[in-house]
Amino acid sequence: MTISRKCVPFTPFEGELAKSTVAIVSAAGVHLREQEPFNISDELGDLGYRVIPEDVESSQLMVTHHHYDHRDADKDINVVFPIDALRELAEEGFIRGIAKKHVGYMGYTMQLKAMYEGTAREIANEIDKGSRADLVVLTGG
Amino acid sequence: MRGIPTVLITVSPEVSAQMRPPRAIYPNGFKIGNSLGKPGARELQKQILQDALTLFTENTRPGEFVTKEYAEYGEYHEPPRVKTKV
Repeated sequence: MTISRKCVPFTPFEGELAKSTVAIVSAAGVHLREQEPFNISDELGDLGYRVIPEDVESSQLMVTHHHYDHRDADKDINVVFPIDALRELAEEGFIRGIAKKHVGYMGYTMQLKAMYEGTAREIANEIDKGSRADLVVLTGG
Repeated sequence: MRGIPTVLITVSPEVSAQMRPPRAIYPNGFKIGNSLGKPGARELQKQILQDALTLFTENTRPGEFVTKEYAEYGEYHEPPRVKTKV
């Protein structure tokens, strides 16, 4: 399905937060330490993304991104990828839980068409098919 | 295809607006790399996240950016000083 590039792709929400599962999709270059880092030597940017599992410890996460100052994220990943904060909101009952999958990618690219028509759709499919997310929080750097 | 509702937390609203996010929250004055505030400030991080999630249940206009003030972020990010003539 082609969406007009002028429209706002708004999906209504008619449920309750306390019954909803939430995924994080971040453009801040977040990935697991054991995953391949994003390729910051390619001036065109890295079109890949990394799937981050539900049970991740925040200490297992890191940032590879060279277009913003991520020293604060290096100290506490929650400033760009609020996984611990989200988990606490689930424990408090504000939301039902955190999704099975979350996604990190590097939100810098000179290949906008490939990002928009390729990577973005792949990430949407990843969340749609396997994360059981009712809602998604998007963050940047 | 129905889609999944999303909300964006952005510190660069002018840049983000080009992609027409359906819902967006802008913590006013936060610097790039501090979308959810300061390292270690979990209550602030949770507050911003709660405010972002609450947009799902409010009747926001598609494409609207909601600006929020967070006093706790305060002077953490000092804006660049502008030289003034004496």
